[in-house]
Amino acid sequence: MSSNVLADQAPAFTERSVDLEDRDIRRARRQSQVIRLGSIAALIAVFAYFSAVAPGFANLGNIANVIEQSAVLALLAFGMSIVVLGGGGDVIRGGIDLSLGANLGLCVAVFAVASNAGFSDWLAVAITFGTGAAVGLLNAIAVVGLGVLPLLATLAVMNICAGAELVLTQNTVISTNSPLLGSIVGLSWLGLSVTDWVLVAATVVLIVLVQGTRWGLRLQAVGGQRQAARAAGLRVQAYLAGTYVAAGLLAALAAILQAARLSGSSPGSGDILLSVVLTSLMSTVFSRRLLPTIGGTLLSVLFIGSLINGFQLLNVSSYWVNGVQGVLILFVVAVRSLSTRRGGA
Amino acid sequence: MSASVPMGRPIGAQLVRVTTPAALIALFLIFAAISPTFRTPGNILHILVNNFSLPALVALGMTLVISAGGIDLSVGVAADIAAMLAVTLMEHGSGLGLSLIAGIGGALVVGLLDALLITVFGISPFLATLGVLFIGESVQQLATNGGTPIYLVSNYPAAGLDYLAHGQILGLPLTLWLVALAVVLVQVLLSSTAFGRHLRAIGAEPRVAWHSGLPVRRTTWLVYLLSALLCGLAGLLLSATVKSYVPLSGNAFMLDAIGAVFVGTTISREARPNVLGTLLGVFFFGMLHNGLLLIGWNFYWQQVAIGLLVFIVLGISFLSRRLQTAD
Amino acid sequence: MAQPALALRDLVKTFGATRALDNANLVVERGAIHGLIGQNGAGKSTIIKILGGLYKADSGSVTIDGQTLTHVSPRAIEHLGIHIIHQEALLVPSFTVAEALFLGAEPGIGPLLSRRTMRKRAEDIIGSYFDMMLPRDALIGELSAAHRQIVQITRALLNRPAVLVFDEPTASLVRREAHRLFGLIRRLRDEGTSIVYISHYLEEVQDLCDKVTVLRNGRDVATLDPRDTPLQDIVSLMINREIGDMFPKSAVPIGKPALSVQGLTRRGHFTNVDFTLHAGEILGLTGLVGSGAKEVLAAIFGLAPADQGSITTHGKQGAVGSPAGAIRRGLGLVPEDRRGQGIALDMSVRENTTLASLGKLTRFGFISRRREAETVRQLIARLGIKTPGPDARVRDLSGGNQQKVVLAKWLSAASDIYLLDEPTVAIDVAAKVEIYRLLGDLAQRGAAVLILSSDLLELQGICDRILVLHRGRITHRLRPADTTPEEILAAATGAAGLGESIAA
Repeated sequence: MSSNVLADQAPAFTERSVDLEDRDIRRARRQSQVIRLGSIAALIAVFAYFSAVAPGFANLGNIANVIEQSAVLALLAFGMSIVVLGGGGDVIRGGIDLSLGANLGLCVAVFAVASNAGFSDWLAVAITFGTGAAVGLLNAIAVVGLGVLPLLATLAVMNICAGAELVLTQNTVISTNSPLLGSIVGLSWLGLSVTDWVLVAATVVLIVLVQGTRWGLRLQAVGGQRQAARAAGLRVQAYLAGTYVAAGLLAALAAILQAARLSGSSPGSGDILLSVVLTSLMSTVFSRRLLPTIGGTLLSVLFIGSLINGFQLLNVSSYWVNGVQGVLILFVVAVRSLSTRRGGA
Repeated sequence: MSASVPMGRPIGAQLVRVTTPAALIALFLIFAAISPTFRTPGNILHILVNNFSLPALVALGMTLVISAGGIDLSVGVAADIAAMLAVTLMEHGSGLGLSLIAGIGGALVVGLLDALLITVFGISPFLATLGVLFIGESVQQLATNGGTPIYLVSNYPAAGLDYLAHGQILGLPLTLWLVALAVVLVQVLLSSTAFGRHLRAIGAEPRVAWHSGLPVRRTTWLVYLLSALLCGLAGLLLSATVKSYVPLSGNAFMLDAIGAVFVGTTISREARPNVLGTLLGVFFFGMLHNGLLLIGWNFYWQQVAIGLLVFIVLGISFLSRRLQTAD
Repeated sequence: MAQPALALRDLVKTFGATRALDNANLVVERGAIHGLIGQNGAGKSTIIKILGGLYKADSGSVTIDGQTLTHVSPRAIEHLGIHIIHQEALLVPSFTVAEALFLGAEPGIGPLLSRRTMRKRAEDIIGSYFDMMLPRDALIGELSAAHRQIVQITRALLNRPAVLVFDEPTASLVRREAHRLFGLIRRLRDEGTSIVYISHYLEEVQDLCDKVTVLRNGRDVATLDPRDTPLQDIVSLMINREIGDMFPKSAVPIGKPALSVQGLTRRGHFTNVDFTLHAGEILGLTGLVGSGAKEVLAAIFGLAPADQGSITTHGKQGAVGSPAGAIRRGLGLVPEDRRGQGIALDMSVRENTTLASLGKLTRFGFISRRREAETVRQLIARLGIKTPGPDARVRDLSGGNQQKVVLAKWLSAASDIYLLDEPTVAIDVAAKVEIYRLLGDLAQRGAAVLILSSDLLELQGICDRILVLHRGRITHRLRPADTTPEEILAAATGAAGLGESIAA
């Protein structure tokens, strides 16, 4: 027979504990704010440094170039961020899509082959998007339908995609040329290329979708507390499946830009995977809720993109790029984990 | 494995656990039926030596890491750094022993870095080892001018290296003995030592482990060092076999090892990583590569087929697990 | 009489060999507050999970407002106006209060959210029900358990449910909030809502409910009017035997000092804490939430070290920097958060029991299976742990038996100073009595026991002395024989004034 009398009759103490709590919240919030501002400051510092020492870095043309080079990575990283948002942050049990890089490669190959087979541009685009969505659907079936861990399911699908790409291309470069690819490369408006505009449009649409609509909010609920989402009557399965399909569609969109940039398909697209994981996870640093965001993902991608570009301008060997990316993610994450550890003690 | 099964989940649980072995046997029979070469003892040995041994070493380390609640994406780096150091030293005329020791030392540095980032800086294993993977790739590119392989052509300890790659003890290849040694080591560590018990407790409930006074940090250090050690060994054996160091070649190990460990969890009642399951998983992958080649599928189709088969095995086992827990 | 708002009839539910529900009935009249009580394991949570569509009953019927459901799902019952407020807050930690409130029914235009409206409406609604403001823009994960509970309840009220089910709603609330909640529940009843109220706290149930159904062993043994029934009778219905000997205690000679704490201070938490705990003694420690009592325990066990002061165990003085260090000095902590800190749910009874003592059972790092099995067998027998076997997962055990596994862990480690943090919370009465017996047994064998509890009857029943912390200082040292729960309470709240402590 419980007589939890103390907790029951403690009027004077309530106020104080609430005050304490407010103070703790304020401190935690200040800390996460410091980290966010720190990350942004680091970003600005890198920009400032390159502008000062690298000739032509701050040129409008060069900036457009950075954006252009980052577009494929950004679209894939958006897909990854959406999957992580819906699946939850735990890397092993939560959401992750390892098939994104291979999906990109497969979609580029599909587009190139379809294009060379004499299909019209629009038909080829439709087939490409169909492929991307189908791969996403395969992930969704494994993760949502069969209950396989996302890490494993998408790993298997990655193998399937990479193999299918090899079958299509026989591991060779497939050059292709089409009016669509021509205009993606050729046209520009206000100094920005078609690729730049696609990225801008995709960013805006996704920010609105993820941060501004009830679908985005509900997706966050699905990833944050699945039971709460279920209790609120959300169709959790549909949201989860949707994230993988959306990621697949983004891979297809990225594939068309990639095909334009490379004038066709060439092996090795899958190598982009780790950068996709990196930028998507890095984006959590820019969010108070420590969740991946579209804006944060774009910032991370541009950060990496301008690093690479700056190195090129400074004639630093590109072999440094991976290492700097590695150190960067470790630095960012270590700062975050050390500061939250101190705050949580 | 203990015999007492808790009440009330008889057949379903058993079904999940036989998915992987059943698929393995079925495929073996199919390959054996189509290709007479496949079922010769020589070919089985070939699979064990060429398709199984090295991934098995890496996957055994991964079994420890995943049991401890972590993951190691830097296994390829550890293997590569070991190979790079050993081959470079041999090329410059060092003895076999020194080169191998230096190679293992290099691999251990990778493990040390992983453990440092995880225990001291509190970075999650996925991100810590991802960072190390990036850095390791850069280091190799910088050291090899962008990925030029180093071949051992002359003036290297050929006899010793040959023995390492093709030597035999009691009629079995040295490589297999090393794998057997690693199997025993990891199995004994996991099942019979305080270290193994601590490691699993840390993997299952890190806060309980801390509250129970377990040496969480020391155990974590050891786990990543052991993983790096096994990867370094795999890297050295690989370079002994091909008489060269090819930058970034170790990365092929990573996803296969993770896949093998998780495929292996399907044979465990508690869905835990376990040595037997991991070995089955590695053998599954190795046999597929070999068998598909022998029945005449080209390399490209092999990859599609392997992806599909893994997809199906995982799908069946997870689906039945889900059906049975759904009550 | 009108149709009942909710009727659950002849529910049967079995899990393996256990019969969780055995023809249980619950009939709730319209516009009444209906209490549902029973020991842990009596079937309360199973009933609620069946009603909520989380479990499927083997047989029986669920009738809502005269309509018998063929398929019970969360959506179906919500559609019929039933809302369940679960014990653990089902809220997304990364949401703001407003987002958490309106998830699933977000205000906005088309699919677009209107965040400003959402926040405004959230503040208005919480203000109107609870007469308070939650920290603006705080995330759910940053809120206290009590505030999360408030969000959870407000969320349920948004739907204007016909039947509202509360599952242990006051467990995390302090008195003022609890009283607001009771006022709110009465107001809802008066407005015509039917309430199902599940609680451990009998006084609360007696005070609040119009009808009470008592569950025992999966069956409804009685439905009665709590105001006409003495508390003692309700209790005996629940446990089916007299609870006269709840606190088995035998006099134990007090031995040498085992743990001595001097001038212990952790800034912002506690100041100058002095006490000595002797072998064979059970020392009680109590204080309100925020009094620093919990932090004192954490400091002694090396979880959050003190800034100043000394800790002496068995005459050896020195700082305790980590749990591992504390355990080496003979200390063992039974934490309040059993599932998060005490036991590894997915490991076996055997593995949990020897988790902290493998060093004693190994030779050159190898575990001696024989000695481990023997140790575990003895402890299972000594503590009376009810388990299918030493290899059963701890997850499959009841709360009381899980608590015994935590004790077994420290017994196996040969700890002789036991720190217990709210050891009987969320444990049924019978298991509580057993825990008390075990603590007495420990003391008898010469162990020293420090127990932090806010259950005053428990403290008075089993302790040799009681220390009261108020605002981070020990203000009173009481002897159970010379005091009353009222006096302890007054001391803890600061109402008794300082300096009149009894030397002990």
